[in-house]
Amino acid sequence: MKTLIAIPAFNEEASIGAVLANLASHHPLEHVIVIDDGSRDSTSDIAHAAGVRVIRHAINLGVGGAMGSAFKFAARNGYEALVQLDADGQHRPEFLSTLLDGIGRSDIVIGSRFAAGGGFRSTWARRNVQRVIAWTVSAYTRTRLTDVTSGFRVSGPNAILLFSEHYPVEYLGDTVESLVLASRQGLTISEVPVIMNERAGGLPSQSIFRATLYTGRILLILVLAAFRSAPPSVTAMQKRVKRESA
Amino acid sequence: MNPQILAIILSVAMFVIVLILLRFYFLPEKYAVIWLLAAIVAIVLSVFPGVLSSIAAFFGISQPINLLFVAGFFVVLLMLMQLSLELARTREELRKTVQSIAADMEKASNDDD
Repeated sequence: MKTLIAIPAFNEEASIGAVLANLASHHPLEHVIVIDDGSRDSTSDIAHAAGVRVIRHAINLGVGGAMGSAFKFAARNGYEALVQLDADGQHRPEFLSTLLDGIGRSDIVIGSRFAAGGGFRSTWARRNVQRVIAWTVSAYTRTRLTDVTSGFRVSGPNAILLFSEHYPVEYLGDTVESLVLASRQGLTISEVPVIMNERAGGLPSQSIFRATLYTGRILLILVLAAFRSAPPSVTAMQKRVKRESA
Repeated sequence: MNPQILAIILSVAMFVIVLILLRFYFLPEKYAVIWLLAAIVAIVLSVFPGVLSSIAAFFGISQPINLLFVAGFFVVLLMLMQLSLELARTREELRKTVQSIAADMEKASNDDD
């Protein structure tokens, strides 16, 4: 299976070098792409020097925009699987094979911190925020999911086709909204337990107030996602695919 | 005809327009909240005009309609200002993007020689 590892990075010069060095023993670096999302530091220089492919955005588009570029690159270059990996070292490359094993059984496989077997300790507020969001998304996708905001996930060929046409750009909502979009297009989603490192920055949901705000925003995104029709670009893609197969 | 009916029709129409724009991806999430809020406030005020009168009385405004004009005008001004800021940011991003593409094209044409 031709697999691309995509690393969205915004001002990550402190950690990107170590992440790529760590990744090198698990995946060939010519099939790794760093999407420098308008960094003002030396993120893309370090990535170039490490020998990976680099896409550089002229302006900051957010993680959703960066992943959109990654999926377009994957679709154009005939990749069958795309793994999203954080640039801050939160995701451990030793779980890559665990994730990739799930492709074939489902279109998207999420590395979950909360599934049985996964290890993650966090604050009370954060755990409950995650629980509410996971419960809502599970209801949409009719699959039991525990960690829907995890960025550590692999997309199979169908998901790459879909996401190369449309990937949600909303800040912090892209992980959740993309799952709703995929499941509404008939793609299947599953989870495997993984262990993650503590990230340096931390989620913006540490105090109760911010946790509530964050949950509210994600729930609003979910309500909108359910109410919306398929994005125009996705409808056009489906027509094209149908024409070609006819 | 009771003018309240016209007010209700207009505010409900505004709400429906916002929903349609949202549904077909013309209106991004970012602006959805403010427009939905505006539409809901309009519906509440048209269905229960008493709310407007009580608020006007609280501020000592004898004609409730004047409160509507002042508040409405202020909100519209704020939204216009937000639009100006957004436009300025978009222009800046466009400038950066064009300059970056131009630099890349210059580099590519040099590599060809």
